[in-house]
Amino acid sequence: MPVSSAPEEHLRLQNIGVSFGNVNVIPSLDLSVRKGEMVAFLGPSGCGKTTTLRIIAGLNTPSRGHIVVGGRDITRLPIHDRDIGMVFQSYALFPHMNVSRNVQFGLQMRNVSGREAEERAGRALEMVQLSHLAHRKPKELSGGQQQRVALARALVIQPSILLLDEPLSNLDAKLRDEMRVQIRALQQESGITAVFVTHDQVEALSMCDRVVVMRNGHVEQFGTPTEVYERPATAFVANFVGRTNKLKGKIGSDGVLSAAGQQLHSATTVAPGAVEVLVRPHRIHLQGQAGDTREADNKVKGTVSGLTFVGDLVQYGVRVGDDEIVVEEATRRERRPVGVGDSVVLGWSAEDTLVYPGGGQ
Amino acid sequence: MSAAATLPRQWRNGELAVMLLLPIALINAIGFILPVLNLARYSFNKSRIGGGIENVFTWDNWAGLLSDPFYLELVFNSVWISLAITLTTLVVSYPIALYLHRSTGSWRTFLTVLVISPLLTSAVVRTYGWIAILVDDGPVVSAIKAVGLPAPSLMFNIKGVFIGLTEILMPYMILALMAGFGRLDPRVEEAARTLGATPSRTFLKVILPLTLPGIALGCLLCFVLAVSSFITPKLMGGGRVFLLATEIYDQAIVTLNWPLASTLSILVLIVFGAALWAYSAVLRRLD
Repeated sequence: MPVSSAPEEHLRLQNIGVSFGNVNVIPSLDLSVRKGEMVAFLGPSGCGKTTTLRIIAGLNTPSRGHIVVGGRDITRLPIHDRDIGMVFQSYALFPHMNVSRNVQFGLQMRNVSGREAEERAGRALEMVQLSHLAHRKPKELSGGQQQRVALARALVIQPSILLLDEPLSNLDAKLRDEMRVQIRALQQESGITAVFVTHDQVEALSMCDRVVVMRNGHVEQFGTPTEVYERPATAFVANFVGRTNKLKGKIGSDGVLSAAGQQLHSATTVAPGAVEVLVRPHRIHLQGQAGDTREADNKVKGTVSGLTFVGDLVQYGVRVGDDEIVVEEATRRERRPVGVGDSVVLGWSAEDTLVYPGGGQ
Repeated sequence: MSAAATLPRQWRNGELAVMLLLPIALINAIGFILPVLNLARYSFNKSRIGGGIENVFTWDNWAGLLSDPFYLELVFNSVWISLAITLTTLVVSYPIALYLHRSTGSWRTFLTVLVISPLLTSAVVRTYGWIAILVDDGPVVSAIKAVGLPAPSLMFNIKGVFIGLTEILMPYMILALMAGFGRLDPRVEEAARTLGATPSRTFLKVILPLTLPGIALGCLLCFVLAVSSFITPKLMGGGRVFLLATEIYDQAIVTLNWPLASTLSILVLIVFGAALWAYSAVLRRLD
């Protein structure tokens, strides 16, 4: 992957805003994507991620702001001059053309000669392992095959940016896993800058170099998958990316955090007032298990209220005062059996205790 | 469902379908096939002065028809004018249909009602409406004269028939086009645009090919309606425009030469058969 020490900016969204009448769908968006990196727009439906992607493609017009690609302002450029490859959620293949003609379309629009277009389309289809289906019509292909044709069609024109709009959401789970790996591999091989829209955190975290978590047209956090997961900037990010336990708490004027009816330690510092305390289920351990030597900064007593065995892990529901805390532990053969109604002590570290101001949301 | 389950087993093997289709097949046979066969028979009979039909076999009607340049020209004119009207109707209806296809919600409902509403009035009434608009001292001619251009004669000639029929056929064309626009997916158009196609190339390479089924259907429908329409050519042509349908009417009602009228009718059926064949050939090529 061509990532230099000072990565070059390739795509910049500058103060992008979208309003419909008096409604500010996207108030103001600033974003910078480096050359050769794959960035995910992650968020719930209606967060503005698809709108933003379509603005980059030129399919939607922003009410204000600028889109800069490779140093050139393309805000006013018509769609067909933008040099963008887009993969649609519904694939959007041309139903009246065979696979090869579909892939050649963008080349023909660029007035590439018939011979060369055919060769390049052939190579693109080889890349997605579909050479044998070059003369089929799209409707004769499976969903996954159509998706790969759409990918070949977008990549064959060697666009300056590849845009993917929920490309995996119409595929079944197994195929989705395969395509995830394949899309990422193709993107890294070609070194193309890509923007990937998804509402699936697994896709965003596993495929992309950086993740933009969006909500109501705002960027909540922009960071690497690890940063977004381990150090969520807001309670919303923590909730949306990965599962989490939520406890209401407060920080006293002395700076002491209390939640679940006792004092807790946290690595994060927040101004005094009402707070939300978030802890990921798999970062909490049942204390006193054989072989468990992990130190816990926070220890909380509770009663097991539910238990689900999911094969590679066990999910416990633990009642602590008025709160219900979910704990996930990897299954181990030597583990002491814990049943519903048992009293347990939960333990977790201060680093895993995420504290956010408020507590309303 | 439960009723079907209790039916005797042998009923379910297609015989039920036959039973259900029988009534409509019978009605069609009596109401359509029989009269057409009757028509075919008349075309080989001899006409008598005063409207009588002599029940003897003769080739005279067909021989006379195919050797008379008047009738050959009639067929040629009818087909040519109907094709031209169909094409004009297509050109003026296509943008409307496309716009309708793309509009949504109550605006679309309103526009659809607007498109269909002319069908609520009979073609006779609409034809008289057009006559009032297009006559020599009517609003259109007056307006053209007021601008200082030479006054055209728009009524009681082929121009009037052309304008009137085009407008009358537009609702059918628009509905047929919209019915055939199912494959038109806005995402596919967007895909073409992102791949570098200008709006006009997107239209030619994607939109037009995808709407060909609708175009073929609309053209077939309007061509058939144009060839068989006789009220509008009769009234707007002022007796000076000779087409197959008006000639059949004249022969059957005025001259009372039923065998000749029958022969011409069968000829129209042959023309329709050719149109159907062309339509299915186009559809086969599309798939």
